[in-house]
Amino acid sequence: MVELPAWSEPFQGDDHSRLARAAALSGIDREWAWGGSTGAGITVAIVDSGIERDHPAVMGRLVESVAVEFVEGEPTVVADDGGDLFGHGTACAGIITALAPDVELVSVRVLGADLRGKGAAFLAGLEWAIKRGVQVANLSLSSKSEALYGAFHELVDLAYFRNVALVSAANNLPGNSYPSLFSSVFSVAAHSEPDPVRLYYNPSPPVEFGAWGVDVPIAWKDGGRTVATGNSFAAPHVAGLVALISARHPGLTPFELKAILAAVADNPRTQARG
Amino acid sequence: MPEQDLPAALQALQAAAWRASVARRLHRGAEQTLLQSIVDATVTLFDAEASSIALFEREPDRLEFRVAAGPQGQGAIGLSVAPTHGIVGYAFSSGQALALSDVATDPRFDRATAERTGYVPRSIAAVPLTDGQRTVGVLQVLDKRGSPTFSLRDMELLGVFAHQAAAAISATKVQRGISTMLRAVLVDMGGDAIGPDQVEALVTASTDRLDESDEAPFWRLVERVGALASLTDREIGLVADILDTVARHATRSAGRR
Repeated sequence: MVELPAWSEPFQGDDHSRLARAAALSGIDREWAWGGSTGAGITVAIVDSGIERDHPAVMGRLVESVAVEFVEGEPTVVADDGGDLFGHGTACAGIITALAPDVELVSVRVLGADLRGKGAAFLAGLEWAIKRGVQVANLSLSSKSEALYGAFHELVDLAYFRNVALVSAANNLPGNSYPSLFSSVFSVAAHSEPDPVRLYYNPSPPVEFGAWGVDVPIAWKDGGRTVATGNSFAAPHVAGLVALISARHPGLTPFELKAILAAVADNPRTQARG
Repeated sequence: MPEQDLPAALQALQAAAWRASVARRLHRGAEQTLLQSIVDATVTLFDAEASSIALFEREPDRLEFRVAAGPQGQGAIGLSVAPTHGIVGYAFSSGQALALSDVATDPRFDRATAERTGYVPRSIAAVPLTDGQRTVGVLQVLDKRGSPTFSLRDMELLGVFAHQAAAAISATKVQRGISTMLRAVLVDMGGDAIGPDQVEALVTASTDRLDESDEAPFWRLVERVGALASLTDREIGLVADILDTVARHATRSAGRR
């Protein structure tokens, strides 16, 4: 029997004692972290299946839309008005705008491109987003290709040094998946408590954060809505919170953002805050 | 590799190719059987209306449903969907598992595909089949009877089932790649001593008897032996007795020649 990866395991049930942490960093609470923030001034890239510009959940916040296509075998970023192939990118966008209604969204469509180059399209789209200058990128997808390990590693470091927070859904399948397992990435698995700001910090990585990802009401294809489960719906909750904090405290590094999220997480505390 | 070693190496490779080909024919259907057992188990474990596995095929790119189980599953077999389309397409393209509920009430849900199968579900879970490196297909489950949605534990269990299915698929692909294997071995062994043309000639020489018609008496026998896997112990005992008699006859015949 293959061992379950169970990335969501630490966040399940009512007993969160395994997540117990010492007192949070003094002076940091949710009010300080994102009180009054709407995400204004922050650009979030959604690297996914596209975004439906006119979907009510997108709230008119889509400012740019590109897609990766293969031109003479090379992944090339081109302007895109293809909407959303699956509905998933729009779902992520809707989760983020519900938390941070004033962010600007950039859609980077990497799914649905030539299936011979799925990993290459993902890499090219991610590189474009980092170099374009976004503050947050939501990556609700992953690659298991060991051949792309080096390329993903390089890009993840580039993002870190350019202060781009990469928020990635953990992959619930055995084996490594990239880029969610790199240490500078905000890797997210799902918990089932129906609260968009319920957040757990996992002191035992690789998956560092738990956010709502079970029976989440989401935007879907053709202006629709549905209810969905998956780590890929947990990641945008964390992306939304990161956008709120970044708007309130411009210039924070991914490392500082993670420390703030850990400080305001709903983990039980082993001692009262001093 | 010195020139004089080639005949011995070629003979060994021929034997390897022959055995691999026999093994492939003995296990023809093994992939299908294993995939079927995975969807059967999925339906039972989840008490679901249907479960199916679609595998990625090229030219044209498509996800083709190979096996299905459950009262509402049979209509899916043989259907193909575009990998750029729907929940199954998303799981395949993104490598991420997901589940949707109350899809039947959503008028925008991809009813066209669902209706082709003869069953429109209320909830769907789709998990990619990943063999460690690549995504090769998708495992899908429709409508758990006991619950309107799929839990995280469900998704994790489905991930394990999907992993088993993907492992089975890679194993049978290894058997299919006899020529590829021989080519790799020859290039590796030969280094600069064997040119590409010579490699191709050796691969052809090692495998040319393997493509004989399935109607050839030897392959017919292999196929029939392969079919014995589904027999009961008692039936296998009977077949073994018959084979014993035939083998004694074959030995005596060879002795008389």
